[in-house]
Amino acid sequence: MSATTTVRRIRSPLFYSLQRLGVEALCLALGFVLVVWSLTPIYNMWKIALDSHAGIFGGSIWPEAPTLESFRVVVTQDFWYLERFWHQFGNSFIVGLSVTGLTLAIGSLASFTVGRMRLRNGWMLTNAALMTYVIPASFLAIPIYRIMQIYGLGNHLSSLILTLTTFATPYAIFIFSQYGKSIPMELDESARIDGANPLQIYIRIYLPLMAPALVAVGTYALLLAWNEYLYNFLLLSTPQSMTVAVALAQFLNSDESPWNYMMATAIIYAVPPIILYYGFRRYMAAGLTMGGVKG
Amino acid sequence: MVKISRRSVLGGAIGAAAASTLARPYIANAQAKTAVYWAGQGFIPQEDAAMRKVCEDYMKESGNKLDYSLMPFMALNQKTISALTSGDVPDLIFMDAPETILPQNAWDDKVVDVTDVVAPFESQLSETAKLNSTFYNKATKKRSYYICPIKQGATPFHIWGDLVEKAGLKMEEIPKDWDGIWTYLKKTQAPLRSKGMRKIFACGLQITTVGPNDGNNLFRHFLIANGGEDILTTDGKLHTDDPKVREAAIKSVEFMTNLYKEGVVPPEALSWNDADDNNGYHEKLFVMDFDGTLSTELAMIKDQQAFYHDMKTLAPANKNDGTPMKAMVNAGGGFIPKGAKNVEVAKDFMKYFMQAKVMNENLKAGLGRWFPAIPQIVKDDPFWTSTEMPCLLPYITEGVLGPTLPLYNAYSPAWGQLEAEQLWGQANADVIKGNMKVADAVDKAFKRGNEIFARITI
Amino acid sequence: MSVTQQTLAVGRGLAAPRTWRKAWFGGLHGADYVWAIAFALPYAAIFLAFVVYPIAFGLWMGSDLALYEQLFTDPRYLTTVLNTLLYVVIGVNVKMFLAFLLSGFFIRKGWWIKGLMVIFILPWATPALPAYMSIHWFLNGQWGMLNNILYALFEFDGPTYLNEHWTGLASNIGAYIWKTLPFWTVILLAGRMAVPTELYEAAAVDGATGLRRFAHVTLPLMANLYLVCTLLDMVFALGDFNSTYFVSGGGPAMSTEVLATLGIRYAFTLALPRLGVAAVMSALPVLIPLVIILMRRLRPSEGQL
Repeated sequence: MSATTTVRRIRSPLFYSLQRLGVEALCLALGFVLVVWSLTPIYNMWKIALDSHAGIFGGSIWPEAPTLESFRVVVTQDFWYLERFWHQFGNSFIVGLSVTGLTLAIGSLASFTVGRMRLRNGWMLTNAALMTYVIPASFLAIPIYRIMQIYGLGNHLSSLILTLTTFATPYAIFIFSQYGKSIPMELDESARIDGANPLQIYIRIYLPLMAPALVAVGTYALLLAWNEYLYNFLLLSTPQSMTVAVALAQFLNSDESPWNYMMATAIIYAVPPIILYYGFRRYMAAGLTMGGVKG
Repeated sequence: MVKISRRSVLGGAIGAAAASTLARPYIANAQAKTAVYWAGQGFIPQEDAAMRKVCEDYMKESGNKLDYSLMPFMALNQKTISALTSGDVPDLIFMDAPETILPQNAWDDKVVDVTDVVAPFESQLSETAKLNSTFYNKATKKRSYYICPIKQGATPFHIWGDLVEKAGLKMEEIPKDWDGIWTYLKKTQAPLRSKGMRKIFACGLQITTVGPNDGNNLFRHFLIANGGEDILTTDGKLHTDDPKVREAAIKSVEFMTNLYKEGVVPPEALSWNDADDNNGYHEKLFVMDFDGTLSTELAMIKDQQAFYHDMKTLAPANKNDGTPMKAMVNAGGGFIPKGAKNVEVAKDFMKYFMQAKVMNENLKAGLGRWFPAIPQIVKDDPFWTSTEMPCLLPYITEGVLGPTLPLYNAYSPAWGQLEAEQLWGQANADVIKGNMKVADAVDKAFKRGNEIFARITI
Repeated sequence: MSVTQQTLAVGRGLAAPRTWRKAWFGGLHGADYVWAIAFALPYAAIFLAFVVYPIAFGLWMGSDLALYEQLFTDPRYLTTVLNTLLYVVIGVNVKMFLAFLLSGFFIRKGWWIKGLMVIFILPWATPALPAYMSIHWFLNGQWGMLNNILYALFEFDGPTYLNEHWTGLASNIGAYIWKTLPFWTVILLAGRMAVPTELYEAAAVDGATGLRRFAHVTLPLMANLYLVCTLLDMVFALGDFNSTYFVSGGGPAMSTEVLATLGIRYAFTLALPRLGVAAVMSALPVLIPLVIILMRRLRPSEGQL
């Protein structure tokens, strides 16, 4: 070790500044590659949305005659697939927010009872969650469709909400139980000595201290619900119950589709999760840091 | 601190848990006269409006209630299959193209026999409508009606007439026979390219292996044109050992792969999905396309110049041996899944729908994308043979006035599986990509086809 | 596990309370016990209603052995299994390796790195269906943007990517990587940020910088997280439906199909839902060991620490 340090000491300051420059240049190059990699498909979406229908096949790299016409069509619901766009947008919000709310509530209650209250045989709950977490959601598509019919929830938003909550909650329990370990047990103890019941401890102590994890998991759940396609499509099908995800799939219905409208719809649809993500980014990192690192 | 009682929380938790499973207990239709009805969305908004009108009119006339919903056809297919599997079914399902779903389910005895509904209309129905609506049932060991046929569709050529002219050729000079049409039209490519259309191709030949439908449909028509229509007959057996069939299949694959190899087909055609050819055709990336129904033309109805002048619809007139070409025609309509709670209303509605007048109004309102299952309608109502919509007459000539064949799907549930595996597309790909000999590629497809058929014997 | 790892588990913000394992003082009695049960009930209910029941139903649907005979005689089944393995093994490992490297990149300081992160995260936040459709068109051989760019830059006509088995499969895998790389990078970045700076300071005192620091501090601390993430994503990739379905559509000639799409195709294109379930079930021999390993790794360690 001392050998390396001695060698280093001999090197001139110029060497270090050159090295720093080199690293910086490499980073910039990598950054450029990343920007291109991340944005190209998204740029393609914009290009299609801004172009006339012909644009997709025009062989150009830029939109030849950019126009916001397709955005106008979507916003004013001026196309028959989009007749109820805002209604469907509302449905997407209902689904997204419900899944987020339910996931946070169910997940935090479960991890509170297992992690803090040390419910006897609580490990069964954790294992159940882990099992759900590691089963690919698409593998259950057919049985779940059938079961929703049995429960009488067919074509009802709640079928989708419950399914997606089921798939989002395990991650929530996982993150919460990891994060919860950072909250000193003494806080619970002193509250109990003051005569607080478990619900009060949950609401007054546990939840506020869990805030970063709640935000992180909430964002995850909302994005999951917002971006999910297979179950949206399978469980909801009438214009009244559709979410935007299903409405987008409608464009695949016919022989001929105005892809520019589809992409404009998709871009508008992508705005809320992006805003949400950037709004909560700071908390997200914090929430995931705690939970994520421990395997 | 707020006092929250333990009991109320416990109750709340149980309540929430219960609510999550029992929020909407399934209640059977309170009104005995309500039927749950699922129908597929059309490709153009007019079709949906027409379907809603039939429902509303029926409700007014009968006093019964239809709880109807229109959904995209993919969603309808998935829901129908799930419903038939689980047994929790609607009372009536209407599909434009039920041929992928019904053969298997009729075979498994999961659909209600509707012979009593169809019988009064049987004498008026076209042969293909009848054949397309009957399927073999493994349990009853016989074929009978499982669809109440309403609409039918055929596959015409869609050609950009203005591009043909621009290439210095004439629409009127297009030969009558099947191969001749392709051979003539492929000559448009060189002149058009020399006029600056650097990327244009002549033929929108969907020799795709992705599909799901277009590639199979194209191959079937090639097979018929080459004299191999007997590949599957009413006995439900695959006649790949018939030398005529094998020869026709070989000729078809040879002709298609040669077109591809000559470079008059977009290379991407090998992996087109069913919308790609339409999109490409609409953008004039190739001169012609061969695709089911008039949706190709009707999608551009707002573009007056294209719809009324530039786009030409052409029916294939003759087989390669000079005899009249048989058009392959499907049938769409309503069917009743077993377990339906209100078969009465469902059947009653179909009886109403099958009346010539109702059927005609509905299909006319859909701009003639589908033609009626009762051919007499076409002869009586001038709408169908007028030239006001230029695409309509050639289409009707092909699908109603000329000789026709039903889809093979009606003959055996195995056929649908064979096509779903894209065997013909695979054979083409084997020749183009794998440099396999045409005969070997065809034999390979036949071998696999026979394996599939071996599982289902009628 | 070492004490450092326990520290790591807790993060740097709060000191680790050594008492947490003891549970609530005096354990659960009477009223508390009822509360605990009540809190556990909602999850137990959705688990029973939407996990246990569907799984049991799926097992019942796929229990007919004749289905497997039909499945294994389908010539496409073997290709599908192979594709699925490649998709899972290559797709996940390449991505996790990239995510690991990138997490090291994004931990650097500087305003433009932060800005870059904002852009980098976009694929994850974009709805899957249109994003994959866009990639489908982007790769189109005749009129796709990729070949247009290649032509504009080099006057060179690119291949038709979705026409070939290998390029098609690579496109699907690439699309999956594109969509999910940001998420895992963020997770691994979070993991790196949780490594206490004191450890690096201590390492620096010992003269360990650069590669040595990486090998002796970062790597051991990240190894477990990396492994867990890899296993988890393998399970996710095994069930991924969207990328294959929308980018290559399983083509050409169903040669890029994976188990998840094959199952859906059997069920909803061929109207053979039981065969579809059987196709998916045939992944169980791979899935179950993965699940067991993961459950052990992820279990909130009782006395393991």
